[in-house]
Amino acid sequence: MLKAENVTLAYGRTPVVHDVTLEITPGGVGLIGESGSGKTTLARAFLGLLKPVKGVILYGGRPLTDLRAFRREVQPVFQAESLDPRMRVGRSIAEARPAMPVASLMEAVGLDPALAGRRPHELSGGQRQRVVIARALAVEPRLLILDEPTSALDVTVQARILELLAGLETERLLITHNLAVVSRLCRTSHVLFAGRVVESGPTAELLARPMHPYTRALREAVPELGGSPPAATGAEPVTAATGCAYRLRCPLAVPACEERPEPVAIGDRRVACHRATEL
Amino acid sequence: MIEVSDLEVRYGTHVAASVPALTVRPGECVAIVGESGSGKSSTLMALLGLAEASGNVTICGVDVLRAGPRELRRLRGSKAALVMQSPQAALPPTTRLGAFMRRALKLHGVRASMEEAMRAVLLDPALLRRYPHEISGGQAQRFAIALAIALGAEVILADEPTSALDVTVQAEVIAVLQRLRAERDLAVLMVSHDLALVSTIADRIVVMKDGQVVGTLTHPYTRQELEAVFGAQG
Repeated sequence: MLKAENVTLAYGRTPVVHDVTLEITPGGVGLIGESGSGKTTLARAFLGLLKPVKGVILYGGRPLTDLRAFRREVQPVFQAESLDPRMRVGRSIAEARPAMPVASLMEAVGLDPALAGRRPHELSGGQRQRVVIARALAVEPRLLILDEPTSALDVTVQARILELLAGLETERLLITHNLAVVSRLCRTSHVLFAGRVVESGPTAELLARPMHPYTRALREAVPELGGSPPAATGAEPVTAATGCAYRLRCPLAVPACEERPEPVAIGDRRVACHRATEL
Repeated sequence: MIEVSDLEVRYGTHVAASVPALTVRPGECVAIVGESGSGKSSTLMALLGLAEASGNVTICGVDVLRAGPRELRRLRGSKAALVMQSPQAALPPTTRLGAFMRRALKLHGVRASMEEAMRAVLLDPALLRRYPHEISGGQAQRFAIALAIALGAEVILADEPTSALDVTVQAEVIAVLQRLRAERDLAVLMVSHDLALVSTIADRIVVMKDGQVVGTLTHPYTRQELEAVFGAQG
């Protein structure tokens, strides 16, 4: 429904996302990457908040022009700090769409309607995040764009919010650095590194058998219950300005990596790495 | 190194945490896990004399709960270092890292090589010329550890030291802590809500819930007991 085609995004004259083509397909789409990889910038473009300097964002096959209808159909869910601290949460939710009964919206996200009279600071982090989700759902959107919806929360609270999101029928684009979250909520995932998609494919497969060395490093860095300590490369988190941006950290880098690898299709995966087939 | 018995941490009349016994020996890593409000951070604060508490706490020979302010200052600054979730926020924004470290060393009358401390945590000594906002979160966390090393810390008390970091950066910080434990016999007491992470590095895991210690696991952990902890946390 929503698609980025050869999109380049910049702040001022500094490009931060380069030539990204990515479609939001049914079953949830995950956008994985570390701080500074450009994932939030890409989300802003998908919300119509940032205009591509190159390429185009398509909604239903057409370039984004009528933002009024679009804003109703595509709703952002950011971290819970986006609530007005002075407004009672019931009003915050009602404001989005006065015709919808607040109580049923609150119940839909597992909140006691009796909390409607509270202000954000009188709620826990998990409850606040539920309010943000209820407010987004009020306009019955077709797509939710979720930017790190659980990363400020405790693991146990996180699990409950994930359960809530997994049960929603609305389509979703989820931006996170947490691999456990995408495996729960997204059928397809894209890994972003230094503003470029380096690997895409079905989430389960991508995490089980990563083909890009960066995806592999990401997965190996996730501690497993009772496993060995997360693998560290001992390298500074640097990116190369030319060629493959990952080559300075990559244990498999070869001279060929000074040339930027184009993404190639391998099965149902797309990988931008000269050595992908060897992995 | 760290010896705790019958510790009770109170906020007014409310008992925030109660820890019957806890020991961390040189080179060991002990983790306290639990959800928000379980009392894990309160326990850590009490160990450095930063919360109202009763019982017995000995760190590097100092009787923390009965020590005077001077003795506590000496302990906190040099022998026992606190590493917080976001050290960047605790660094003065208008002071270069090098100037900050130099001031800390002078304050505690310690002579040490700042460059060597930086290298010990795999940081380029050139970063000493940077301001706090010019370094990344992972670098800031390693700088906090470098500062502890320069001051001659024997014990590191860390409160969620990696939970604000990306997984790959977290791996680097953890690797640095692991190496310092092995090379310098550093004792680490770490508070975390990430059971998976601590299960990979800790010698013992203390599980807290509602201010009480509900269990202590000893390495090697069985999958069953770890999953039981997960289960208990809902």
